Parts: sequence; structure tokens; C-alpha cells
Amino acid sequence: MIKDKINIYLVEYAINSILRQKYKSLFIVVVFTFLTFLLSSMFFITNSIKYELNSTRKALPQIIVQKQIGGKNYDIDINRVDKILNIAGVEDAISRVWGYYYFDNARVNFTLVGVNQFENQYKNSLQKIVDKTDFDKDENTPIMVVGKGVKKVLSQNYYKEYLNFIKPDGKLLKVSIDGIFDADTKLESNDMIVMSEDTLREIFDMPSDKATDIVVKVSNPKEVQTVALKIKQLYPDSRVITNDDLKVSYENIFDYKGGVFLALFIVSLFTFFMIVYDKASGLSGEQKKEIGILKAIGWSVDDVLKVKFYEGFIISFFAYINGVILSLIFVHILQAPLLRDIFVGYRGLKPAFELPFILDIQTLSLVFFLSVPIYISATIIPSWRVATLETDEVIR
Amino acid sequence: MIYLKDITKVYEINKNNKVVALQNINLDIDEGELVVLRGASGSGKSTILSLIASLSKPTSGEVIVDEKRISKLPDSFASKYRQENIGFIFQKYNLIPTLSVTENILLPLIPLNPDEKVAKKKLDEVMARFDISHKASQLVKSLSGGEQQRVAIARANINNPKIIIADEPTANLDEKLSLNFIEILKQMKELGKTIVVATHDPLFFNLDFVDKEIKIHKGKLL
Repeated sequence: MIKDKINIYLVEYAINSILRQKYKSLFIVVVFTFLTFLLSSMFFITNSIKYELNSTRKALPQIIVQKQIGGKNYDIDINRVDKILNIAGVEDAISRVWGYYYFDNARVNFTLVGVNQFENQYKNSLQKIVDKTDFDKDENTPIMVVGKGVKKVLSQNYYKEYLNFIKPDGKLLKVSIDGIFDADTKLESNDMIVMSEDTLREIFDMPSDKATDIVVKVSNPKEVQTVALKIKQLYPDSRVITNDDLKVSYENIFDYKGGVFLALFIVSLFTFFMIVYDKASGLSGEQKKEIGILKAIGWSVDDVLKVKFYEGFIISFFAYINGVILSLIFVHILQAPLLRDIFVGYRGLKPAFELPFILDIQTLSLVFFLSVPIYISATIIPSWRVATLETDEVIR
Repeated sequence: MIYLKDITKVYEINKNNKVVALQNINLDIDEGELVVLRGASGSGKSTILSLIASLSKPTSGEVIVDEKRISKLPDSFASKYRQENIGFIFQKYNLIPTLSVTENILLPLIPLNPDEKVAKKKLDEVMARFDISHKASQLVKSLSGGEQQRVAIARANINNPKIIIADEPTANLDEKLSLNFIEILKQMKELGKTIVVATHDPLFFNLDFVDKEIKIHKGKLL
């Protein structure tokens, strides 16, 4: 049945034709494979990271309230918590003390988060840490729980059991490592250090009536925007960030970083279209003559075009499959060395998370339709032009 | 069997440059005949062959083969007509140099998608008949002129066509090979094929097995 539908001799002829021009065919396959590889890798990496970030975002508070004047952030008064709690629809409001600490030895930033042992935490991962850890167990030496990435960096820089934080006045504060945590999302937690709020206030020299920001929980998720507006009206000097704002912000970061990658992609795309242009702009005298000979000995236009279709399909599909397989290996087995750094590592400490395997059929289809049909068309159209000329004219 | 009726063929090189290749030609070739078209280069011999093989269409007039008007055939029918009826031997052989002898000879069979055994049988038969079996796997570009011509003849015969057309077949051959070719022509005629040869080679003139010699000059039959 298949033999009746597909003329195997035509397929053989197409393969033979590709092999006859082996260097040219090889060049096209290499460029095409590289293009597909780049395009697929970009999509695979961004899909994986967006998936990871989406998980992170879901764990974030519904509303974050910061104090901002002239575009700069200031510590916020803790007494605002009570007034925010009075707004209708607000279920809870918690002040947070957190910030970044630059670790000079490794030239990376850590995210320092302060917790109050006796209060509810604004997210489950922190609650788990607080439940397991007694931050006040040693009155003389404060303790901290660190992410895996932090532990690794500290160990590589002598600090296996503690770290001396440099306070704003230049004095040191020794904090012992009490444990390592592995939170819900590695991207978020990898660079994180959790310690008691009092210890963190000491490191940042933050007064007890101030906080970094306030997180707000709203009973009905549909009312988040309304509550955010009311907070803004109550405190005009505040910057009110909703979960949706964070989503946009994250997506912008990755779209921008995708842009860097896009530049690389455009270069290979340019090469690809040079090949397409070369093919579409016409056939060589030898190729024209071959079509003329085939027609003269009884081949129809249809037969010629079938061979050209098979040629284009074999080359482009082979390269497409190669490119996709290579990018799957590159992204999900090798964890995208070099390229991953373009997309991740926004706080300096490269998170040691694994890119989750997201095989998106839409992505694969998009890559397919951006490459294979274009190449096949560029192969067929010039041959069709020649094949439909008078055979005698082509041979002469 | 083959009728050319009031044929005129004009090649339009560009809008202001037209070449009249044939003018009101009338020609009648019977089944099994061997016809030699004589004439200088540019006289229109090859154009007549192209019209009979349906490689081009006349500007006016009709080409009728086996009572079918092949001058009006659309491309797909013209291809089928060539496949079933015509074996064309070109002056420069028109082989595909990067294919082997076997691959070149099999080319006309490919669109028919034949059974492998049938194809092999036909291949062995024509290669033996035209004495090229010993070169089967060689690339044609590595063959001598005479060998290349035998490949071209084998290719023209693989579909067992009724009509053999040869355009200046001995133009690139020495006398010995030309005489060999004439012998092959004789064999093909004995097999009952209708043969039309366009040539200005004197070796073809006054051969006893040639049925008609037709002289052409500047697109007109003399």
C-alpha cells in the first residue's frame, strides 16, 4: 500500500541527489541544525524558567507595600500594619525585614530574610524553617539557616560553620550556620539566608519600629486590586505591588534576557535566509539541465517536484530533529552551560536549580513551521519554474 | 504513424528577436520506417525531433502520432506520451554525469514505480543488448564517448518505446564508433521500431536500410 502511494525510487533519487552534493548539503544541514538548536534551546530554557518563576510567584504575597519617595525605597513604619489590617477585605498584614548582603569574597549577593519566631510567617517555606529552628537557642551567638547555594559559596570561601557579617558601622557580627533548607522552589531559595529578625536588624542597623516592607493577604483574590488601591490612597508615599505586577516584572526580565539570545539567533537566521535566497533565486545551469533531461525521458513536472520536495524535506527534517534533540540534551541533561547564565543569575549567585523538563508541543511546532516549510518552498519553487518551461528550451 | 501537418515553429528569443525554425512543414512517417533528416546546422532538424517527442509545441500546425494530437497535450499527458512512446538519443548524450551507468539507464523507469524484479530484468536486457553490462557500476563521466552513447541508447530503449529519435548521434564519435552506431540502428529497425535520425554525417546517406532521406534547409523541406 505504502509502495503504491510513495514512489520509493523517487525517494532514493532524492537521497542520491543530496549525497551527490554532499558538501553543500552538509553545510545546509549544519546551519539548519544550529538554527533549530538555538531556537529550541531558547524556548526550552525560557519555558523552564517561566515555569519555575511561576511556581515562585505563586508562593509570593498577594500584596507588598513599600515606602518609596523620589523613586527610592525607605524603611516603612511598622505601625502602618494596624491601619492596613483595618481595611475591609484584608485578612492579614505582616511586616518583613529583609535585604541583600554583598559577600565580597565571592562577589555575590545573598538575600537575607528575618523571621519573628512568635508570629505567623507569610509563606509556608518560612513557616517550616521557623517550626524546625529555634533562633534564640544561643544567646551569645545568633544562628541562621541557609540555602544550598549559600552553603556551597560559604564553604568555598572558608566559612564552613559561620559567617562574619560586616555591619554598617564596620563592626563584625558572627552568625552560625544552623542548617540548610531546600524550599519549594530552588530558584527562589538558593541564595537565601534566614535568621531572626533581631539579628537582621542588627546587621542592617534597622530600628525596631521600621520594616523593609509589609505583606498583605486578602481573603478574596478578586479584591486584591481594590485593596491595593485603598492602601495607596491611605499612604500616598507607598508603592503597592500586587502579585500580577510581579508576574509582569518577571516576564519583562526574561523577555529582555531573551533579547540578548535573540541577537545570536538573528545571526544564524540571517545565514539560513542566505541559503534560502540562494536556492530561491534560481538553479545552476547543471541543475536546470538535469530537470530538462528528466523531463525529456518521460518524467512529469509532478515527478520532478516530488523529488525536490523529498530533497528539501529530508534535509530540513533531519536538521530539525537533530537541532531539537541536541537542544534537549543541551538544556535538560547538560543544564544549558553558558546560555543559562544569560537568563538566570539575576542576583549574582547562580541558583543551582535544575531546569524543569517542559516539552511544549506548541514550541516544537513553532520551531518546525519557522524552518522546515520555508526551506522546502525555497527548494521547490525554482525547480517548478524550470520544470514548467518547454523541455526543449531547458535542454538547449 | 507520425504526421506533421503545416508545422511552423518560431522561437521568441526576446520581444524584438524572433527566429523562424520551421515554416509550413508537412511530413509523414510510417510505422517501422527509418527516416534520416539531412541538413546543415540550424536548418530545423532538431526542432522537428523536439516536436515529434513533444519536447516543444509548434507555433502553428499539428503533430499527430498514432492518431493522437500530441502538439496539444498538457504537460502530464506529454510526459506519459514520451514515457510510453519515445526513446530519445541526444547529440551530447545528456546523461547525468554523477550517476552510474545503471542509475542513468533506469531513470525513465523511475516514475513508473516498477517492481524491482521487473526493473532488473529490463535493465539486464538492454545492458546486454547494447554491450554495456561490464560498466554497470561505473560513473558515466568516467566512460569514453562511445560507451556513453551506448548508455544513452540503452536508456532510450529501457521502456521499449515504439519510436526512437536520434539527434546528431555520431557528431562526437569517430568513424569506427559511428559505423557501430549505424549497426545498432539497423538492429533497432529490425525490432520494428520507427526511427527518426537528424544528421549531417555522410555515413548515413544512401544506406540500404534507410526508408526515407529528407533534406531540410532554413526551416523548409526540399
